[in-house]
Amino acid sequence: MKTFINSIYGWADARLGLEELSHFARKKTVPEHAHSFWYYWGGLSLFFFLVQAFTGILLLLYYRPGPEAFESVRQITYEMHFGWLIRSTHSWAANLMVFAVFVHMFSVFFMKAYRSPREFGWWSGLVLLMVVMVFGFSGYLLPMNELAYFATKVGLEIPASTPIIGPKIAELVRGGLEVNEVTVQRFFALHVVVLPAVFAVLLGFHLWLVQKHGNALPPSEEAKPAQERKTVPFFPNFLMKDLAVWLVALNILAVLAAVFPWELGQPADALKPAPQGIHPEWYFMSQFQVLKVLGDWMPGAVGEIAGILLFNVCLVLWFLVPLYDTSRESGRRARRVTWLGLVALIALIITTIWGYAVL
Amino acid sequence: MNYPFWIVPHIGSGWVIGLIAIFHIMISHFAVGGGLYLPLAERKALRENRRDWLETLRGHSKFFLILTGVFGAVSGVGIWFSIGLANPEATSTLIHNFVFAWAIEWVFFMIELSTAAVYYYTWGRIPHELHIKVGYVYAVTSLFTLIIINGILAFMLTPSDAWLAVAGTGAEASRFWQAFFNPTYWPSLVLRTLVCISLAGIWALVTCSRIDGAKNPSLKTSLVRWSAKWLIPSYLLLPFALAWYLWQVPESQRFLLQLGMSTAAPGMFTQLTRMSLLIVLSSVTLVGVVYLLAWRTPEKFRFSQAVVVLFLGLVATAAGEYSREMLRKPYVVGQHMFSNGVRRGDVDKFNQEGYLTHSPWVTTTSSTLDQGQIMFRGQCMACHTADSYRSMRGLLGERNRDSIASLLKILHDYKPDSPYRAYMPPLVGTAGEISALSDYLTTLGSPAK
Repeated sequence: MKTFINSIYGWADARLGLEELSHFARKKTVPEHAHSFWYYWGGLSLFFFLVQAFTGILLLLYYRPGPEAFESVRQITYEMHFGWLIRSTHSWAANLMVFAVFVHMFSVFFMKAYRSPREFGWWSGLVLLMVVMVFGFSGYLLPMNELAYFATKVGLEIPASTPIIGPKIAELVRGGLEVNEVTVQRFFALHVVVLPAVFAVLLGFHLWLVQKHGNALPPSEEAKPAQERKTVPFFPNFLMKDLAVWLVALNILAVLAAVFPWELGQPADALKPAPQGIHPEWYFMSQFQVLKVLGDWMPGAVGEIAGILLFNVCLVLWFLVPLYDTSRESGRRARRVTWLGLVALIALIITTIWGYAVL
Repeated sequence: MNYPFWIVPHIGSGWVIGLIAIFHIMISHFAVGGGLYLPLAERKALRENRRDWLETLRGHSKFFLILTGVFGAVSGVGIWFSIGLANPEATSTLIHNFVFAWAIEWVFFMIELSTAAVYYYTWGRIPHELHIKVGYVYAVTSLFTLIIINGILAFMLTPSDAWLAVAGTGAEASRFWQAFFNPTYWPSLVLRTLVCISLAGIWALVTCSRIDGAKNPSLKTSLVRWSAKWLIPSYLLLPFALAWYLWQVPESQRFLLQLGMSTAAPGMFTQLTRMSLLIVLSSVTLVGVVYLLAWRTPEKFRFSQAVVVLFLGLVATAAGEYSREMLRKPYVVGQHMFSNGVRRGDVDKFNQEGYLTHSPWVTTTSSTLDQGQIMFRGQCMACHTADSYRSMRGLLGERNRDSIASLLKILHDYKPDSPYRAYMPPLVGTAGEISALSDYLTTLGSPAK
């Protein structure tokens, strides 16, 4: 039996170069230190994306965009065997993925892993985060239930307030003046074709960069002499731990999907008044609350424009961090950027909690 | 129904029992499995001349004594308090049938507690052979506490035909042994013993994770791996034990699982299925994580990783206990007493004479709404809360009074094809009492205008 397996392996190796791959994986190392825990969050984000892809394909088998959107989700939830489980897993994994990407981003930020030569890793990661958030926004409408309908309606009013081009962009996204079945069709195409294609290319680029430059060391480790730094082989040591973390994540996902199955809600009805407390998903809550506050201070379009300007400025600054905090020697600049990150994180948490508190 | 009602806002009284019970089971099953782990580990250390194990085992026995002797004992008493308050009728039935069994269990419990203390305090003070014997005394007595309590717990699901034949006649105690060694007794005992053994390994991993692997790589590797092996018997035998257990469960109860499997949806009707899936997944994850983190790189096995393993054990245990409870529905004592404390044999009596006429909590001057509220507290509140867990407000939604009355009629008629019959007891009482309940429930919902 062993000889047979060896001969199969030899045959495949001669054609695919498996031995080179295995040698490469064994040679590759991952730093091991007190902050190694944060290295797992990139892998976790990838894991949740894979769950999304798998459950998303299963949902595609029965989901029908357009006028039957709600009915098809109802059938998936109540009639298809384990449809509720697939849908719940998809929805929970989406939220966990956004959470994992946020944690990954902030861990990269505080470990200064955006510094040379990893700038493109930082930028591609930020674009991936934005794509993930658009994934979330587009997927939220697909069940076409009451909450999704009104939340999308409110959500699209934000870009619509951008001067000159805003209304046209919103109309293009909606497929008309109102959120309706056409919007669902468009969001569906975006969600299952456009975004996955963009995401796959970006993810490939991001992973290639991670592979090329390896894992960054936090400043506290960088300060140590090279001989005091520890590493572990990527294969099998790190990979096995990564697998264990994925297993635990799968279990947490299963607990959430089983104990708190995703609700279906009521079908969207444009003639009904919006239910009280309409709000976006938690990862948009911070921006939502800031816009509300600015709207109170500066009524009308002025508040919304100010908000959009503020978000764009913050985003650009966040993007440019690697060009400002460039190296180990940057001293004061490095400390300033760390403080900036802390302020951003605290502001994000506070405005999110605030948003939920005043619903 | 002559007992006062225990109103627990938001989570309901059932979850108070549930939370204490899950915490207690994690510890009490460790108390049984860990009782075997300690003398066996000590014996192995002496036989293989691994003296370095002994210091770790001493520390583990201290942790064991505190966890089981303090938290295990306190949470055990907590269960008594909470079941007595949440479901006094069922507790009364258990006491009247098993008071003698409990007395025996408490004797073993006293020996168990004493030997646990003796075992810890005599490390290095008495010969090792005698010390190991103390450990074995502990192991045997703690196993006996499981052997006894298992009979009572299994009785609640399958009280046996012999006991059911005399239930309510006053001669129940004459069928003590049949009730005790009921149909699910043996598979349940095997299942619980396997859980005890794996929990012994899981908790030992917590202690072993605190050994400094850089300073004592050999000690940490050997102890972590030996402890991890304690998970093997469970995961080889659990599927068979589970199949045996389910085979002994009455068809009517097994149907609850099949119902969930075939019509799994996010309503309350499929909680059992969802929890059952969790047991399987958590157990598989647990083994995978122990292999990948503890077995492969034992010297680097950290406390935080041990806590993750413990968490997975908690999920599997919690899901298992929740499923066992749900499998009994709509009964609290299988085929005899419904989950709201109404005996099956009393249904016709309450329907003819009235439910409230047998209640001391209603007077002739009670208003209709007061009567409806007492009906709600007596017959619904064992499983539902007004506005939170299994919320009546949420379940009733926009139903108006007529719609609520129709629903209550379905629950009262309790026809064989009623979808509610699988999980819910019949609603008992006269037409007037059910009308009063309709009035009260209308005040809880949000009827459409």
